[in-house]
Amino acid sequence: MEALGPLEITVMEILWQHGDSNVHDVTQRLDRPLAYTTVMTTLDRLFKKGLLDRRKSDRAFFYQPRLSRAEWEQKRAGDFVAGFLAAPQTSGEFLVSCLVDAVGRHDEALLDELERKIRLKRKELYRRRKT
Amino acid sequence: MSLPYLLRLVCLCLASFFLLHMALGFAVTLATPVAIRLAERMRPRKASRFLLALRLFPSAFSLLLVAGLCAPSYLLLEPAFTQEEVSLWCVAAALLCVTLVVLSLVRCARAARRSIGYIRYCQLVGRQERLAGESAPVWVVDGPAPFLALAGILHPRLIISRSVVNALPSGELAAALRHEQAHQLSRDNFKRLLLILAPDLFPLWRGFARLERVWNRFAEWAADDYAVAGEPHRSISLASALVSVARLGACPQAAPLVTSLLADNQDLAERVERLLRDFPGEPGEERKSLTVKIAGVAASVPVLLLMFHPVTLTSVHGLLEYLTH
Repeated sequence: MEALGPLEITVMEILWQHGDSNVHDVTQRLDRPLAYTTVMTTLDRLFKKGLLDRRKSDRAFFYQPRLSRAEWEQKRAGDFVAGFLAAPQTSGEFLVSCLVDAVGRHDEALLDELERKIRLKRKELYRRRKT
Repeated sequence: MSLPYLLRLVCLCLASFFLLHMALGFAVTLATPVAIRLAERMRPRKASRFLLALRLFPSAFSLLLVAGLCAPSYLLLEPAFTQEEVSLWCVAAALLCVTLVVLSLVRCARAARRSIGYIRYCQLVGRQERLAGESAPVWVVDGPAPFLALAGILHPRLIISRSVVNALPSGELAAALRHEQAHQLSRDNFKRLLLILAPDLFPLWRGFARLERVWNRFAEWAADDYAVAGEPHRSISLASALVSVARLGACPQAAPLVTSLLADNQDLAERVERLLRDFPGEPGEERKSLTVKIAGVAASVPVLLLMFHPVTLTSVHGLLEYLTH
């Protein structure tokens, strides 16, 4: 699966949220003003990448995502891991160690945050007791 | 397929159990999201009891109906010692039932073997010690793996690793031990055994996995509530103990019939937040009043009379004949 640029991701987000839309609908829902032709080209590129289905209605194309957001994320993660593991063995080990590190860092951050909350609660209780 | 009288009875009972269990099981699976939403409004102990009852309902009720209706109606109304044709569908349902039961028994035997092995290992490498605030001796095991668990069904033992004893201050250790005592009092390991023993919805398909996962979460919360008993200091101590044990490292579920303090790290943040926010406490066991008991007995008498009424037995026998052919 090809990587998506920032505008492509924004357009996909809009389509996942609102479903069937034409170029005009997407242009209206963008956070920043963009030319109609830019959005049209982006939608056409996403269609060619196989991420969108389209149908013609009253001379305008209506686009809708072929995969749900969850399916797309799952496929992206699967492709990424498969690509990494297809390389020599060291790459696979590196990927696993990076994932373990990332999970570890996430856990550490979560535990730090929980500890901070416990300290605050202890202080609050101590203060309440004093008063 | 032509089968003699008694073999036909066995075949019919097994097939009936399978069909009833499948129908009730599907109903329970469909009702699971609603049941979980309902349970979330209850106190954790009540919620865990409700979800356990729901999980065991298909097998218990199917067994009751087969033993209380199918077998008596067959024995009373089927002409004795006759040879009769049994449809292949009926035989297939009976064989599927046998597969379900055998798979449950194998799962149960494997869980029991792993748990007994775990307890023996802990007793071999550990030693009994009296910890502060704990009346009964606790098995303390030397080794780097951090754990605090309740193991066993008939005589549950508290097992704790030296690293946890050294890492937790006395207040936190007492709170953690009280949490495990709560599991002991509510016989959670025995309930785990029942969950493993209860047949699946279909062979090799864990249709009740979500219900069991949520039951496990509520059982942990109920034990937290008992350990804390509405005391803010205990609540903070238990929250701190959970975080300290999590910091020592991952605590995998040691064996299927063992309850650990932190078996599921996924729930850690929610448990800690809950302890800090609510200072939860478990009200004392409400005694069921005599009126409720009498009402229960009074309600079951007409049900039993209805079960053994000739019309009921004849109707059930009609259904069994339909199933046979």
